[in-house]
Amino acid sequence: MDLAALGLTLRLAFVTTLCLLVIATPLAAWIADAAGAPSRTTRAHILARRIAQAAVALPLVLPPTVLGLYLLLGMGPATSLGRALIAILGHPLAFSFPGLVVGSILYSLPFAVQPLVLGFEGVPRELRETAAVLGASRWTVFRRVTLPLAAPSFLTAAVLAFTHTVGEFGVVLMIGGDIPGVTRTLSISIYDQVQEMNYSAANHTSLLLIALAFLTLLALYARGARRNDGGRWIA
Amino acid sequence: MPERTSSPETAPRAPHHRLAVTATLGALLLSADLELHAPWTVLFGPSGSGKSSLLRAMCGFEVGSPATSIQFTRIASDGTSRRLDDVPSSRRDIAYAPQSPALLPHLDVGRNVSFPFEVCASPVRDSTVVDEALGLFKLHALAERRHRELSGGEAQRVNLARAFATPGAKLLLLDEPFNGIDRATRDALLPELLRVAAERGVPVVSVTHDVEEALRLEAEVVRIDAGRVMAQGPAREVLADEVKRIAAVMR
Repeated sequence: MDLAALGLTLRLAFVTTLCLLVIATPLAAWIADAAGAPSRTTRAHILARRIAQAAVALPLVLPPTVLGLYLLLGMGPATSLGRALIAILGHPLAFSFPGLVVGSILYSLPFAVQPLVLGFEGVPRELRETAAVLGASRWTVFRRVTLPLAAPSFLTAAVLAFTHTVGEFGVVLMIGGDIPGVTRTLSISIYDQVQEMNYSAANHTSLLLIALAFLTLLALYARGARRNDGGRWIA
Repeated sequence: MPERTSSPETAPRAPHHRLAVTATLGALLLSADLELHAPWTVLFGPSGSGKSSLLRAMCGFEVGSPATSIQFTRIASDGTSRRLDDVPSSRRDIAYAPQSPALLPHLDVGRNVSFPFEVCASPVRDSTVVDEALGLFKLHALAERRHRELSGGEAQRVNLARAFATPGAKLLLLDEPFNGIDRATRDALLPELLRVAAERGVPVVSVTHDVEEALRLEAEVVRIDAGRVMAQGPAREVLADEVKRIAAVMR
């Protein structure tokens, strides 16, 4: 068992999930037009939202190696952004833990954004409209109506982002290399173990990942079922 | 053209509020210039005639397809006119009770009724209006219940109480306010609501297709069809045909 890899994986997933919730909340709120009453939007607005939604969903369909390649190039000395990062950090972002976090955020972005978009869109429009006309500003409607009613979606987003980050392989390998204790996560550790024909170790690590993923999803669904008989607004 | 059914020799009425609304709803052009002579005005008309959409347009909500342009001007009884076309819903000084109760499911009855008071930006800081509304609609005993623990009629009372408890409102819009409320409760509420509305001097516009409700309110009735004002006047005059028809059935 590669304990260093386990610790690193959990740390990476935790930090990524926290960052994702901070980034995905305003992004999903904008895509779902979740502040104030549903607004009388123009076609240009609607188109802009659909473009953003499609861009956010890209990591779902792209090979992770494509994302990894561009991240690697972007973080490296070949681009001005990469050179700026190297100047600020003193080392390239690639092949470091913060580099992995950046890659994981992009790779897991749809898993955080989409449940939130669905949650925000699921708040009945008449609740937001009524709150607005009764005096609630856009921000107040978001904070006091949309957010509390979409609260379960935050749990879904967090769990999906966390488990997806735990399971990622391609992006981590591309931009992290395979540095023990720094960028070697559990999924890469399994790959290494198989390369070394150490099937027993690979088996143990894999079983651990299966158990971790299954228990998380079970907890999520069990909680969803409990919420369902209570509030009829909660999907 | 709107036809005034009151007799011409009637003395000019007291200064009144005016609401001018236009909006497009698919192929239907909603266009109404409402003069509010009585404290309570009832929009009367068949389903699909655009009554609710008129209220929604006044509130600044989406009507029909997105990006429909809506014009709404409110002229107060003192003659001051305010164009609200681009004013966000939250700053239109309107209290509104939608057709479905639209109670916030995560808040209890008390917090639902005090919601407009809690979120209002105006300096009004007198919470007696909340207490009054709870009393008016006999909701004190239900104050700690959530929406899912209420009957349809109870939820509707909370919806109305919340509109009546909105501080600083200059116009009260009620969409089928007695939907789901039993007759006895409604008949007990009507005179009370009329009295409160008159006391506050806030004009009330409600939507209904219930003849008896309009008669009991002694309201000014505006008959709406296909998005237009067809007739306006006291309930007994505008609804004379309906009253006759009901009388014929009863005989």
